[in-house]
Amino acid sequence: MAELFRRIKYLINRRRLDAELASDMEFHREMAARAGRSNFGNTLRMREQAREAWGWTWLDRLVQDLRYGVRILARSPGFTLMAVSVLAIGIGINVAAFSLFDMVALEPLPVRDPSSLVRLERRSPTAYTSEMPYPSVLFYGAHAKTLSAVMAVLGIPPMQLDNDIQQASAFFVTSNYFTELGTPAGMGRLFDPAREDASGAAPTVVLSYGFWQRRFGADPSVVGRIIHLNGKPVTVIGITPYAFASLAGQTPDIWLPMPQQPYFVDGSHILTDSGDSAVRMWGRLAPGVTQKTAAQELLALTNELRRQHPNDIWDNEYIDIHPGGRMQVMQEMMYQVAAMVAVLTLLILAVACANLGGLMLARAVTREREIGIRVAIGAGRWRIFRQLCTESLLLAALGSLAGLALGNIVVRVSLSSMDAPKWINPSPDWRVLLFTLGLTLLAAVFFGLAPALQITRQRQHKTIARQVLVGAQVAASCVLLIVAGLLVRASQHALYTDPGFGYQQLLTIDAQLAQHGYAPAAAKAYLSQMQARIRALPGVQSVSLVKLPPLGHAVMRLNREVDGHAILVYPNWVEPGFFQTMGIPLLMGRTFYPGEKNAVVVSESFARWQWPGRSPLGQQLGDDDKKDIVVGVVGNARINALSDNDATEQYWPAQPDDMPGMTVIARTAGTPDSLPPIVKSISESIDPRIFPEIRQLKALYQDNISPVAKVATIVSLIGMVAVLLAGVGIIGLVAFTVSQRTKEIAIRIALGARKSQVLAAVLRQFAWPVALGLVAGTGIAAASSRVLRKALFGVNNLDPLSYVTALCILAAILAVAAVLPARRALRLDLAKTLHYE
Amino acid sequence: MPITPNQETPKPVTPSGALPMLILRVLQSGTLHGYAIGQRIHLLSSEVLGVEEGLLYPTLQKMLVKGWVTAEWGISETNRKVRCYRLTPEGRKHLKAELSGYDRVTQAIQEILRTA
Repeated sequence: MAELFRRIKYLINRRRLDAELASDMEFHREMAARAGRSNFGNTLRMREQAREAWGWTWLDRLVQDLRYGVRILARSPGFTLMAVSVLAIGIGINVAAFSLFDMVALEPLPVRDPSSLVRLERRSPTAYTSEMPYPSVLFYGAHAKTLSAVMAVLGIPPMQLDNDIQQASAFFVTSNYFTELGTPAGMGRLFDPAREDASGAAPTVVLSYGFWQRRFGADPSVVGRIIHLNGKPVTVIGITPYAFASLAGQTPDIWLPMPQQPYFVDGSHILTDSGDSAVRMWGRLAPGVTQKTAAQELLALTNELRRQHPNDIWDNEYIDIHPGGRMQVMQEMMYQVAAMVAVLTLLILAVACANLGGLMLARAVTREREIGIRVAIGAGRWRIFRQLCTESLLLAALGSLAGLALGNIVVRVSLSSMDAPKWINPSPDWRVLLFTLGLTLLAAVFFGLAPALQITRQRQHKTIARQVLVGAQVAASCVLLIVAGLLVRASQHALYTDPGFGYQQLLTIDAQLAQHGYAPAAAKAYLSQMQARIRALPGVQSVSLVKLPPLGHAVMRLNREVDGHAILVYPNWVEPGFFQTMGIPLLMGRTFYPGEKNAVVVSESFARWQWPGRSPLGQQLGDDDKKDIVVGVVGNARINALSDNDATEQYWPAQPDDMPGMTVIARTAGTPDSLPPIVKSISESIDPRIFPEIRQLKALYQDNISPVAKVATIVSLIGMVAVLLAGVGIIGLVAFTVSQRTKEIAIRIALGARKSQVLAAVLRQFAWPVALGLVAGTGIAAASSRVLRKALFGVNNLDPLSYVTALCILAAILAVAAVLPARRALRLDLAKTLHYE
Repeated sequence: MPITPNQETPKPVTPSGALPMLILRVLQSGTLHGYAIGQRIHLLSSEVLGVEEGLLYPTLQKMLVKGWVTAEWGISETNRKVRCYRLTPEGRKHLKAELSGYDRVTQAIQEILRTA
């Protein structure tokens, strides 16, 4: 340690100490001369050797190399500008992607102790749901010693505020929600367990900052005012802060305290029904408790719950714990998506680096003389290599700075277009900076190493490195283009083909009867009346009931294994007329009879998996004690998994007990735009306490597929950038080859070679790298696109059209890029060239 | 006449590996400047060992960085301001360790030469 300090002291005082050393040696020489000896050698060299003992020679060399590098780059501004822009594109895209990932998945929420926040979900080996019954939440909260607090969030349909046309989105949260997050009130006060949980507490509401601005014009006097939600008076007690960080990025317009849920939703039993998974659960780990210990204790509590309510807990159920203190609670699937995006963006970097590597190689030939001189005056290979690496690093650093700026611009633009939470800070944090640094080194190795090796070994004219780089560029662009092609096909497919049900003319009316405490018989009466009155409306073709409406809020999914194949089953409970209303074709057998039991209708894809080559009709399905008979097969309709081509469906006849949870679905002849207000008034006349959520499937469908279309556009853009980069790279390389072989070409032409022969001779060396690149790229794309399957809306990940299109575009661009500069070879002025050479 | 091991090449031998130890040893009796260190080693070894200037100064720099010696200003015999080197406590400790190690090695070598 002391030695290090002395070294640093020597570095700081090096000028003085060097002078002292020089004086020492000068004195030595004087004395030696007196003694009649004068064999003192090269003083400068000796002083350098002595200085090496201080251990800072590498720094001296680095500074020297950097200075030299700066001079070299400044001398060819065209090359430098080109190189920095190519790198900025490659690095900038990666920085942007990583920044977004960082914000969503790594950056802790600006709340109190984000690291101990956890998301808690019900899971078993065969089942999963994101929601949990509220009594279970209370049970875990009361008994778990490993959790210092539990929070619950209940999403509900938008609420009617006074007489507004636009409804307000709302969440019920446990009253410790804001205190646990340590959120200060933007104005007034937020929920306080001591007041909101007290029995007989008056109804209160907290407005979000944005809603307060939009709806109330930021009027401060709104705090303390009484407003009406779904017709119920409630006092506004406060406003959330401007940059409020909520769990999982929830941003409703209004926040309501959980204890008031029965007040707003008449007759609801959510707070007491132990069988109704309705709320999302969050918790805070007690100090010093790990997720694993908490999981063990929660498992014991789950088993205790099963003893109390045997019907409400699944076999082998456990509580799945995920870190919750970030904007997005990451699930395995999301990591897969993130990894895929990372691969695509790194491919861009690979193309950029290979491109730049080619440029550096071409430059190496022009620098041959300079390097030759340096070697001639005594520079070692290692020294030259180091010099070249320093230059590459310098270039990479410049590119990274530009890339960082570019990436940040992309991030800011996308944040402003995404309506992101206000607390998000788009400036790069330390993780992004570290990532950029890593990328800089990676890029420097990628584009700098091969040229540096070749130059050091004085093999500037070897073509193999150039060919490898061309191959790499072609392969990487090929993968990007194919993936882009697949995504474009998927979004086209989603937009222009039938998803298995006619969504354009469908309307769902969710009255949430269960939440209002409707008993089955009352619910049946309500729904019959609603159906009859809607059916009587002009333009309505068909009306039916479904438990899990298409593209609805709730999704249920079962993992089944058939012959070792994991398949996803989406179950649903429907009325007999459902298939006709939805426009799902009946392929075999029949639909249900009214009031039928122990019957099931399956989708075509499920039948194919389960009974390949056999008739599904009459087969039995289900567990041993309650077998259901397959009565019909219908077309595939991924009504709740649009993008997943592997999804299958099973439909059971809705039973009387299901009625409170059923949704009305109606098909109209034209577009159902005019229907919602009429349905609203019908609902009001049947039961004024109920405010049904009325949704048009057309809009939901568009919301569902617009992300794919967006991603397809972005990936296509990235792919085109990659291809253009590769094209420019090839133009440069071919032009360079032509200029190198001018003499040979001229002789060939002079001797009577045909144009095509000359062209072939020039381009031959690029033929096999391009071919290999295309093959490798196609192979990689085919192998890696398997992970995309679930996002492709039924387009096969080996879809030949996408592949052929991508390869044709790529081949065409490459051919143009190769032939354009090569044609120059044919227009040579023979006499001049031969004379000159 | 200097007594050298090999009469045909009267050039002094450079004790490269043991040089730090020798420098530390000659500094034990007091501070010396660079030239004097070389001279002292040359003389004390009955002119068998000669310290090349190209080796002496890098070694001294290394020892300065290691903290075995410190440099201070002094006046030479020729009345010139010159840097003199002084042994530090750390250097003294290091010398002791080196010497005992060296003794063990020479003894071992002697042993082999005598008995083998």
